[in-house]
Amino acid sequence: MLMTGQQYIDSLRKLNTRVYMFGEKIDNWVDHPIIRPSINCVRMTYDLAQDPQYADLMTTKSSLTGETINRFAHLHQSTDDLRKKVKMQRLLGQKTASCFQRCVGMDAFNAVFSTTFEIDKKYGTSYHQNFVNYLKHVQANDLIVDGAMTDPKGDRALAPSKQKDADLFLHIVERRPDGIVVRGAKAHQTGSINSHDHIIMPTIAMGEEDKDYAVSFACPSDAEGLYMIYGRQSCDTRKLEEGADIDLGNKEFGGQEALVVFDNVFIPNDKIFLCGEFEFAGMMVERFAGYHRQSYGGCKVGVGDVLIGAAALAADYNGANKASHVKDKLIEMTHLNETLFCCGIACSAEGYPTAAGNYQIDLLLANVCKQNVTRFPYEIVRLAEDIAGGLMVTMPSAVDFRSDLEVGRNGETLGEVCTKYFAASPTCSTEDRMRILRFLENICLGASAVGYRTESMHGAGSPQAQRIMIARQGNIEAKKELAKAIAGIK
Amino acid sequence: MKIGVRFCGGCNPRFDRGLALEKIRKSKPDDEFLHAVEGEEYDMLLVIGGCTNCCATFDHFHSHTGVEKIWSEDHIPELIEEIEIARKRIANPE
Repeated sequence: MLMTGQQYIDSLRKLNTRVYMFGEKIDNWVDHPIIRPSINCVRMTYDLAQDPQYADLMTTKSSLTGETINRFAHLHQSTDDLRKKVKMQRLLGQKTASCFQRCVGMDAFNAVFSTTFEIDKKYGTSYHQNFVNYLKHVQANDLIVDGAMTDPKGDRALAPSKQKDADLFLHIVERRPDGIVVRGAKAHQTGSINSHDHIIMPTIAMGEEDKDYAVSFACPSDAEGLYMIYGRQSCDTRKLEEGADIDLGNKEFGGQEALVVFDNVFIPNDKIFLCGEFEFAGMMVERFAGYHRQSYGGCKVGVGDVLIGAAALAADYNGANKASHVKDKLIEMTHLNETLFCCGIACSAEGYPTAAGNYQIDLLLANVCKQNVTRFPYEIVRLAEDIAGGLMVTMPSAVDFRSDLEVGRNGETLGEVCTKYFAASPTCSTEDRMRILRFLENICLGASAVGYRTESMHGAGSPQAQRIMIARQGNIEAKKELAKAIAGIK
Repeated sequence: MKIGVRFCGGCNPRFDRGLALEKIRKSKPDDEFLHAVEGEEYDMLLVIGGCTNCCATFDHFHSHTGVEKIWSEDHIPELIEEIEIARKRIANPE
């Protein structure tokens, strides 16, 4: 059953998810002005699935049931599926100019599906069947699931079991006949509050001494003992201003991250996908990270598309659109953005089937993709700010532009003075110019910069994590042989 | 004619695919253009792609006269001709 966007919103109201922000418990988090834009982003993943113009990317047939499902709940069955995933992400970036948060669940599904298959093969466990049963439930009910990997990690020099505080990595505190009890937290959790469920995965490869930390499971977002602390973003309280609109830049959409705390949460046996088989923690991490590094070759490109469009509009409104350097900067932004898309498509096209049957991306190319994502959006933002001009950060508030307060010698109002002095090209109104400059501010250094900049740097692993993978996959010895052969070295 | 329409997913379309369909509808007011649904039979399947890749999946739809693809508004006149040819083929099967 595909849910509509409205049904998704209604389904969130039925959850008893515990959310805290600014030192208070937020009871109606669905309608909270700071949180709601991020919910609207997730809603878009439902609305577009209902639209025939987007259904080819947004929906597909379940490999488990044959039913039509949202692609975000799909196990990739081919390299074509992998490419369509990237295109779907680009589409959603274009429609929201934000992180739309549903990718982590999709990437977790595919990583856990293939890893549990290999654990069961070695140990005769039933994790794979547990997971297949769970995913059927997710697909049938069109649920949002947060794929949660990143632990707080404490002292980075120490393994999970060597931390002074054992809770700095999520771990098993009790084993019962009917399940386990877990304690700890997952940090930076994108879309956690908007999700019906969570899938938890370990955050790093682990040794035997860390086996209590090698744990993967699913649980509802409102499980007893689970709560979330909302992560604030730059300019977030602008959303609390009365009648906030233009100054928000992007009134409708936004991203969301939270600290998700597991305060002794019980997990029943049928929702456990890894429980102490420590040598598979690394496989799960590597596969999830691979998929997620591919994802960024789609989602950030879509946001980049909107950003480039906004920069071009700013040039139009400033009257600078015919300047050759402005045209060249737009070309450079496009070149960088499409290079990221090339990487996302390339690692998909070179994908391969896992032993479980779903398709995995090419790991080297996915890491190259994400490494570029740690750089190119920053350059795209720099060029956008260059084109926009300083006004995007020095402009008076929308309240000033609308003020009737008389301030001039001849009775001019504050609004009239602002409108007069910030007018530019006669092809646009001053208000439209304000709108596009505030939109640029939002992505370049406002609330959406969380998603477009810092998430590009650290999401799906910080730059050094990709460089380690590139070093492992780089095939340097074979390259030496190529050089030897041509240089005549025996 | 009953024509099933399948859009590509629209990740970076070079033209307005919805508007293109409206233009086609206006050119062929006697034909029925429906969003393709699996299990339905169509006289023709029309695939509207947003770029040259035209990557829409359509193998699961059924059509009597085959599939016509367009990925540019410039293709509309030729498509109109193809619809007429298909109509004649249906009216006078060999």
